[in-house]
Order: sequence, then structure tokens, then C-alpha cells
Amino acid sequence: MPRTTSLIVVAAGAILIALLAKSAWAGPLDHPGYAKTLTCTACHGAAGNSKSDAMPILAGMSPAYFKKQVAAYADGARPSPEMEPYAKMVLQLGVDDVARYFADQKPEPTPIKAPVEAVGRGRVAAVQCVICHGPDGKGDPSRLIPSLAGQPPGYLRDQMLLFKQDKRNPADQTLNAVKALMHTIPDDTFGDLAAYYSSLR
Amino acid sequence: MTRLTRREFLGTSSAGLGLGFLGGSALLGGCATGMKGDFMPKASRRVVVIGGGWGGATAAKYVRLGDPAIEVVLIEPNRAFVSCPFSNLVLSGLRSIDSITFGYDGLRKQGVKVIQEMAVAIEPDTKRVRVGEGYLQYDRLVVSPGVEFQWEQVEGLAQNEDKVLHAWKAGAQTVELARQLQSMADGGVFVLTVPPVAYRCPPGPYERICQVAWYLKSNKPKSKLIVLDANPNIVSKAALFREAWKAYPNIDYRASNKVVAVDPGVREVRTEFDRVKYDVINLIPPQRAGGIAVQADLVGADKRWCEVDHVTYESVKQKGVHVIGDATIGLPVPKSGNVANAMGKICATAIVQLLNGKPVPAIPPGNTCYSWVSDREAIAVVNSYRIDNGKVVQIEQKLTPAQSVSVAQRAVGWAQSIWSDMLA
Repeated sequence: MPRTTSLIVVAAGAILIALLAKSAWAGPLDHPGYAKTLTCTACHGAAGNSKSDAMPILAGMSPAYFKKQVAAYADGARPSPEMEPYAKMVLQLGVDDVARYFADQKPEPTPIKAPVEAVGRGRVAAVQCVICHGPDGKGDPSRLIPSLAGQPPGYLRDQMLLFKQDKRNPADQTLNAVKALMHTIPDDTFGDLAAYYSSLR
Repeated sequence: MTRLTRREFLGTSSAGLGLGFLGGSALLGGCATGMKGDFMPKASRRVVVIGGGWGGATAAKYVRLGDPAIEVVLIEPNRAFVSCPFSNLVLSGLRSIDSITFGYDGLRKQGVKVIQEMAVAIEPDTKRVRVGEGYLQYDRLVVSPGVEFQWEQVEGLAQNEDKVLHAWKAGAQTVELARQLQSMADGGVFVLTVPPVAYRCPPGPYERICQVAWYLKSNKPKSKLIVLDANPNIVSKAALFREAWKAYPNIDYRASNKVVAVDPGVREVRTEFDRVKYDVINLIPPQRAGGIAVQADLVGADKRWCEVDHVTYESVKQKGVHVIGDATIGLPVPKSGNVANAMGKICATAIVQLLNGKPVPAIPPGNTCYSWVSDREAIAVVNSYRIDNGKVVQIEQKLTPAQSVSVAQRAVGWAQSIWSDMLA
């Protein structure tokens, strides 16, 4: 009899623990931004960890920088036929939740492997970039300077070219320093710089 | 970074994506005769997904990501997924079919149980899907059946399915049409027919026209491409395609030319008022929702497409049955792979919430659609949406200003990303 009782107690305890675990279990859907990023992940990867060369990784991005870019895409200040409609959608869904969601995700560096020689040349060429983006390429969120570390090389190269051609945020005076710097760098070196920053962890 | 050659640039390998090529381990079933009765008794909450394409594969994965305690069974007759986007580049010889073919091992790693079989019937009253001689029970069902062809709409087509190719479901027909194009004599006539709307991938026929014309111009300069379009104008990205076609004087485009009959014996198609001879034919037939959706009466009065709730994708005709992808109608979205992928994720999220007794978020889909207009340049259209009073409404449509190499590079990035999103 006591044995049966203890079995019942153990079984009841197990059921109770299971019930508590179920009610307390917080899945990814409990993050207020999760559902609002479902459209983004087609290009930017699950949880914002892009696996392609052309699309940037959004996981771990500073919310302030993210929100500045969404606003710039939406009003055409950062021209992009792909991103303008989606930025408007993000603003309507709630950019704070979306920015928070991506900021909360653990970034996985790009799987695109850049050639070792290009990384080496890029490290040498990056002396001027570190002034703003820091020795580890992580940027400075307080000054809206993005992290470049581990971003896909194709995306980084494209952005440098766009700055040089003044096609990225053409009217934005606050970006004059980076645009001026890009003018001093030959196009061929952009690939090396992109390789280097994509290799940083 | 070294400059990419054209072949490297186009050749985003499946290995680089971490997507196994034709992975075939741990197949469940595999033999319809072995499936009798309740051949896989349901032990927990279960979602069954019919169809492992853009919508279904994505939905299966995202139910597992949303709540790994839910069992997911995917029923798909094909051993591997072949991407329709980028398959027009197989016709022009710029890509291999292998480079757009992926196995389902990535989904298995997510815990999806993949059954390589054809779903035979849906029984919503008992929440069962018939497979082989047996059945599977479900709590929620996702039907992502794609399209089936309405062979009977074109006289002579039904009895010549193997001779008159559509290549509108990427796979063996894509490879065979590429072979026919390549073996056509210089000076030959290639006829391509566009079905009336609505059909899968609105800009797809016009991208294909670019690819065939580019191939002919480069390899068989005396040949001609005659396009018989059932529609009064180019259905999608019209101005951008017209601009691209200026490079291809070998295109003879005829709008409002609906094909009504084909006779492969004399190599001739007939429109409502004309007869056209061909050396190679690519006849894209009129379409409707995949057979199982029609048979289960998920389609509307037109007997073609399935109307759904714009937030949950639950069928308006059957409770507990959700329909996604090309088979749906009523949302202001194109029948594209990108939209099916978005529907898959949104529907999966809704189902996870419903099974957990939680509120369903109202999330709109999105559409990003690239078209290759030459061997190196592409164009794109993007649509974003919001939900107003439970209905999907377009916020904006934006086109690329012109064709370019950089759009093509982003097309490659899009494909790499979205194939991973579905299947990795």
C-alpha cells in the first residue's frame, strides 16, 4: 500500500512538472518581433543569419542602426527597389519589435569563405577604416557606425562601391567622411577589404 | 576578391548552401502497398503537409521551428525538390539541373518526417489523409499542391503529353526541352505559348522568351522564336521586358493569340484564327490548383483555385485544412515561389499558435521576383503588403529602373537565401 501511494505521488509530481514546464516554455513565437520578421528571412536567413553573399546579416545588429536604415530605405534616402517596399511594410508592422528581434539573435558569421591572400591584403588596406569601425570591425552603435565583422563579402563590396559612386544615401551629409574615404580607394581594393572584414569574428 | 567568371557567378552550388544534393536517407514508407490502416499512429499533436515545394517544405520546417513538440509529416512523391525559379537558365544552358535540385535531408534534420508518396485523398470529417491503402491522422492539414495542367483546354494535348512539352514544373521536362532546343537546326522555328491568366509565375514565360532568344541569337542566328500569348499584353514587368527584347530581333511576339489545338504529327499549333508551324514547341497549358485540392473540393465555383482566410490560410470550405502557394486565389499576390514561401511561414506560425491556444498574429506576405533577361542581366519586381480588416492589401509595388548585372547578382543571392530558408 505505501508503495502504491509513493508511486502515485511520484507520477502526480511528474505530471505537475510536465504541466509547469509546458506553461512556462517560451518558444520563439513568444518574442513580439518573431512573426513580424517572417518575410525578411526569405532573403536575410532564419533569425537574420543570411547565408548568401549579397544579403547582409541582421542578427545582432544594433537597433538604432537598423531603424535608421529602415527609415532611409522607406523614404528613398537609401535607394533600393527591393528594400523600399519591405521597409514600408516593416514600419507598418512595428519597426521597434523587428529591430529588437534581430538585435536579440545570435549572429552567425557568413559561411562565404574569402581567399586568404585577399584577407591579408585587406588587413593592410584597412588602416583607415579602423578609425571609425574599430580594430575588431565591430563599429560603434552609439554613433550609428555598423559592425562589419563577419558580414558577407559581396554585400560589403557592393556597399563600398555604392558609397564611392554616391548612390548610397546620396544626400546624407553625415556620411561625407566615409564617401570621401571610398574615393581614395581603388575599386579593386574593395574586394580585399570586404574579404578581410568578412573574415573577422 | 577575384572577379568571377560567368560560370562561377551563375554556379551557386548546392554544396555551398549546405543543402544536400539528392539526399535520400531514412525514407519512410517508400512502398505504397506496405501502407495499410493507420500506418503511423499519432502519438502527439500532428501537422500533415501535402506537397514539398516552395510552400509545403517551408511550412513543414517552420512548424518545427515554431514548436518542436509538434510532429510534422510531409507527403511528397518526388525524391528531390527542383526549383522552378532559375530553371529557365537550364534551357539556355547557363545552369545545370543539378544546381537547382535539392534533397529533403535538411528538413529531416529539423525533425520533419518525410514520406515519399502521393497523397491520394483528404477526409476532413475524420481528419485523415489517404496514402497508399492506409491513412494518416492529423490535427491540422496544410495543402500545398501547386498547379495541375488543364490538358483538355487544348485539343490534341492530352494524348501528346510526352511530345508537347510544358517544362513548367522544373525537372525532366526542363532537361528534355533544353535538349530539343540545342538539337534544333539553325533556321528552325521555336514556338512558345503563354496561357491565359491566372497561371504559375506571371513573368516566367517572358523570362523564358529572353533565355530562348538569347540562346538562339548566340548559337542559331538564323532561327526564330514565335510567341503566342493568350493575353492581350505581357502580363508582368511589361516595359522592362519590352526594353530587353530590343536586343532580340529574333522574337516574333503575338499578343491575344490563344492556342486552341496542337498537332505534333504535322508540327503545327492552331490559335483561334491562325495556324503556326514549329520545329520545337513549348506549350504552357492553362492551369488550376493541384489535383488533390480539386478532388477534395477545396476549390471555388470556378473549380480552379482555393479561397482561404488571409491570416491563417485556412480553407474557407473546410475547417482544419489550410491551403498555401499557387493553388490559392483571392489575395492580391502573384503565384510566385517567394509568395508561397511567405505563406508557408505565416501559415505554419498560425497553426502553431492555434494548436497552443494562443492568438494568431496578422502577418502579410511579400513578393520578390527576379527575371533573367540575358546571360548576365536581370530585372526585378517587389511587392509589399499589409493586412486591413483581415484582408491582404498591397502597400507598394516597385520595379528595378533597368536591367543590370547587379540585379542579377542579387537574384543569385536571393536564390541561395530562399532555398536555404525552405530546405536547410
